[in-house]
Amino acid sequence: MAQRTVGRRTGQGFGRVLVTVYGILAFAALGRSSYELVVKFTEAPVAYTLSTLAAVVYVVATFALAIGSPTWRLVAWITVGIEAVGVVTVGALSLADAQAFGESTVWSGFGQGYGYVPLVLPFVGLWWLWRTSRSTPEERTA
Amino acid sequence: MILALVLLVVALCVALAGWAAWFVARDRAVVLNQLWGGAVIEVVVLVQGVVAIVQGATGAGAGDPLLFWGYFATTLVILPVAAAWAFAERTRWSSVVLLVASLTVAFLEWRMWQIWTVA
Repeated sequence: MAQRTVGRRTGQGFGRVLVTVYGILAFAALGRSSYELVVKFTEAPVAYTLSTLAAVVYVVATFALAIGSPTWRLVAWITVGIEAVGVVTVGALSLADAQAFGESTVWSGFGQGYGYVPLVLPFVGLWWLWRTSRSTPEERTA
Repeated sequence: MILALVLLVVALCVALAGWAAWFVARDRAVVLNQLWGGAVIEVVVLVQGVVAIVQGATGAGAGDPLLFWGYFATTLVILPVAAAWAFAERTRWSSVVLLVASLTVAFLEWRMWQIWTVA
């Protein structure tokens, strides 16, 4: 019976909603950074490079959470972890000095421009990764 | 863009979101009829695209075409992808996915209207 609950996938159940929100944010970040790179990269190279980095991390995290195999689960831990560190660090720096990056990024003001979703999401993601790994005892003993 | 079409899309999205929310409350998964609802929204968005091209050709286009069409493409893609993603899940969480996607499209519609009128 216990084996039946084993191998809980990160992209199922509540995880399906998580991946949806990640996907939308990935789209938003990707669209934003593409636009910035094409139209006005020279205005604030640091901010726009950061936006591009954030976008790539969101895209990878979305796929990693959706697939959820052991390897991709590790990728998800790393990318979601980067987001958590990124949004807190960039958020704090942007508050301390509004001109820290020359222009605003996805993570500026703790993701204020996106309804603070970028701030909340990585922590929900980490919680979900932890929670789904807890229900796979075979993986822990493997 | 035409305001009436924007309001129509937002109204349809809110209706679909309400339908999905009702399913969440009833612990039900997304049904095919809801996807047809999403298809209707897609058709209206496509009509908006045609209208925007015509308006653009007559010199009354968006002030920032790249930004506008970027939003347009995103708006068009979200519902089909979310619908396929939701339909693979046969629990109430699929209804939450549809709810989130519908509200996102409504929000993007409003942003498109903002970008269009800022010109």
